[in-house]
Amino acid sequence: MDVELNEDQTMLQEMTRRFLEDRSPIAALRRLVDGGEGFDREVWRQAAELGWVALFVPEENGGIAESAQGVADAAIVAEELGRVVFSGPFLSTCVVAFAIAQSGSEAQRAEWLPGLAAGETLASWCFAGPGTKAGVRAGSVSASRRGDGHVLDGIAAYAEYAEAADLLLVTAQGVQGLSQFVLPAGTAGITVEPMDAMDLGRSLARVRFEGVVAGPEALLGDAGKADEAFERQLQAALVLHCAETVGVTDRAFEFTLEWVNERHAFGRPIGSYQALKHRLADHVMQLEGAKAAAAHAARAVQAGAPDAAIAVSVAKSQCGRSATEIIRDCLQMHGGIGLTWEHDIHFYLRRAVSNEMLWGSPAVHHERLSRLAGI
Amino acid sequence: MENTAEAPTGERRTSEHLDTDEQRAFRLKAREYMAANLPPRIPGQPANSFEDLELVALDRQIQKKLYDGGLGGYVGITVPEEYGGLGLDRRFEDIFFEEAEPYRLPWHYGNAVVIVLPCLLAHGTEEQKKKYIPRILSGEHLWAQLLSEPSGGSDLAGVLTRAEKRGDEWVLNGSKVWTSGGHVSDMGLCLARSDPTVRKHAGLTMFLVDMHQPGMSVHPIRLVRGGSDFCQEFLDDVIVPDCDVLGDVNDGWTVARTQLNSERAGMARGWHYGLRRAEASAHIEISRRYARLAEELGVSGDADARQLIGEAIVLDAVYDLTSKRAATGARNGALPPTIGMVTSLLSARTSIDRTALMSALAGPVGVAGSPGGDGPDIGMDRVVTHRIGGGTLEMQLNLVSERHLGLPREPGSDRDVPFNQLRHNATPKLAG
Ligand SMILES: Cc1cc2nc3c(=O)[nH]c(=O)nc-3n(C[C@H](O)[C@H](O)[C@H](O)COP(=O)(O)OP(=O)(O)OC[C@H]3O[C@@H](n4cnc5c(N)ncnc54)[C@H](O)[C@@H]3O)c2cc1C
Repeated sequence: MDVELNEDQTMLQEMTRRFLEDRSPIAALRRLVDGGEGFDREVWRQAAELGWVALFVPEENGGIAESAQGVADAAIVAEELGRVVFSGPFLSTCVVAFAIAQSGSEAQRAEWLPGLAAGETLASWCFAGPGTKAGVRAGSVSASRRGDGHVLDGIAAYAEYAEAADLLLVTAQGVQGLSQFVLPAGTAGITVEPMDAMDLGRSLARVRFEGVVAGPEALLGDAGKADEAFERQLQAALVLHCAETVGVTDRAFEFTLEWVNERHAFGRPIGSYQALKHRLADHVMQLEGAKAAAAHAARAVQAGAPDAAIAVSVAKSQCGRSATEIIRDCLQMHGGIGLTWEHDIHFYLRRAVSNEMLWGSPAVHHERLSRLAGI
Repeated sequence: MENTAEAPTGERRTSEHLDTDEQRAFRLKAREYMAANLPPRIPGQPANSFEDLELVALDRQIQKKLYDGGLGGYVGITVPEEYGGLGLDRRFEDIFFEEAEPYRLPWHYGNAVVIVLPCLLAHGTEEQKKKYIPRILSGEHLWAQLLSEPSGGSDLAGVLTRAEKRGDEWVLNGSKVWTSGGHVSDMGLCLARSDPTVRKHAGLTMFLVDMHQPGMSVHPIRLVRGGSDFCQEFLDDVIVPDCDVLGDVNDGWTVARTQLNSERAGMARGWHYGLRRAEASAHIEISRRYARLAEELGVSGDADARQLIGEAIVLDAVYDLTSKRAATGARNGALPPTIGMVTSLLSARTSIDRTALMSALAGPVGVAGSPGGDGPDIGMDRVVTHRIGGGTLEMQLNLVSERHLGLPREPGSDRDVPFNQLRHNATPKLAG
């Protein structure tokens, strides 16, 4: 995705690709889906050993953050995950680890980070409301003060891998502003209701909070002052999400290109017809745009650059829209086989369409950009 | 492609801190000389407009001043000294453009420097290089490209203009069209058919043509917006001495390929050297135009308008980031050289899409307003924004799919047939 990877990053990319080809190719997703399973815990544990989550975790808590570039490196992994339409709690666990590493007390870091880095603790982030504009704002869960703690009420939707999670990060609205909490998933008053997701490789859930008591040990950072931390986490999540989308699109485009070269109609490869060629030219152009935008967002967020907020929304709009449009048309170019369960392309298109709308639809990000432009 | 100068935004950034002593000396010399000799850059002033004869004359003067002041003219910095340049490396050119940011540059020399200069350097004889390059750098010669003909432009190798050798001269007859700046140019790079009995790519020759001669009649063509930036030429026994054949006789297609590649590279880059910020920002910068426009139109709080503006911001940023990525990737080998074709296509798509968004934003205000206002410009942009010059959109799509993606080439019915056995279009007369 990025044309300026350093040596370590190129190695990380190659290692990740090899691991996934071996342990979690697209055929593995098909097996999981056919078997009615969500994801493979063993693969996740091995992946964690490779350091996927440890990128965000300081050495004293069992990670490698000091010798890595957290968000930028994780984006490299995310792109590879996209290429195989990986099913697993990568984004959610990484972002929760990132949040705890950034805002957690020493005790919180010591309690949670080693398990997250080792792949033993799975985590989910609960913040988005259930509506059409969900994805970039928190506030559907409320936090009210009680004694030295808080009580949480409300519903967070589209929470990734909440069903499997041991740990929930909750961003809630209080009177003064946003507050964040880390809670064991089994805390009284929390109910996880799985959603029916079109992306067969992604578990999504609605998480209901009913009078959930969060003691002071659960509060992450200061009460009512989590707005900036929320934005940083959102940016990190968007970077990983966009990088994944790029991987999904890149791979689908790749096998479609092979297909149009091989498949013949009227005595010539279908890829020799301008009607298809011209569309593929536009697609590679949009794909390059998505790669450029996603790579820039990764670098900007990693560096805390002044345009990071803009960069992630630009990337989200570009990656989301181009992925759906490109893969939808790639399916079209496959003809009848593209609509069969047996062909892989529907897994790619499901993820693309789903990614376009999750974490803020293009419309939500366009509105956000207008706001960031001071309009 | 941006064609107007912008107001300088915010503080100027330079890479001054990276200068060596020699570079620093060059920078200070350029700074002082430009301050004393160059007119200011006026926001909204067109970069080029060949019908504005005063602006063309101004650019001739600017080019001459830059040359006389020892700055190598517009982009002569990296040109070898024996051809009138300064023989310095790219870093000095970057410094030049950083320092030139507050001033107008001679953008009418675009054809000469973006296209003709690389062709002369690649294919010219010593004599040609010594004769013509200094004249470009010193402002003496404006150049035109005489490629397209009334019978067709995309199929460039199908030109009909005939070149016949008589003694040690060539005699050219035919017509060229859509020649940007033809009426103000001193010289033209002209592709003509020297042998019609062989297949079409094999019978072409490229000529350096003096535009000021009796056989060359130049007629401006009236364009959609009313202006006349291009011309049609009728070549009626135009004379070219044998020493002004560029490249080999019947090998004009090789030169044409350099010409087309240079043109595409220029298009991908934004054409006018030094029009955009010298040192591109590492960050995404949102054009202030959108906030201003929303304010003027009174739609700042309107949900639909905010969507359109958000989309336009994405469009601009993606273009910018993609061209930077392509430049970096092509330089460090992470991307193939054909990536420039993708950027070029994106630049076309971006301007077309942006005009659509702006038109939707302005609604009826963009198509009719009080006399003198700038309302209808937004609607007119929808009428005139196309990719035709520099290779049509469809030709860009062919290039990206065939060269960049490696898809099979279009079957051509004309490739192995002698040119004089092919069917050609009639030659409509558009001007004159
Ligand atoms: C602003 C501007 C500046 C210009 N400046 C110059 C100049 O300085 N010098 C010069 O010589 N020319 C110049 N041109 C001319 C330009 O290069 C031609 O107009 C262009 O190459 C197209 O040629 P044409 O107009 O003859 O259209 P045609 O080639 O007849 O094309 C007509 C249509 O058919 C399509 N088409 C043609 N072939 C194919 C194909 N193989 N596959 C798919 N579609 C195809 C084209 O895309 C186009 O839509 C300029 C044009 C413009 C607009």
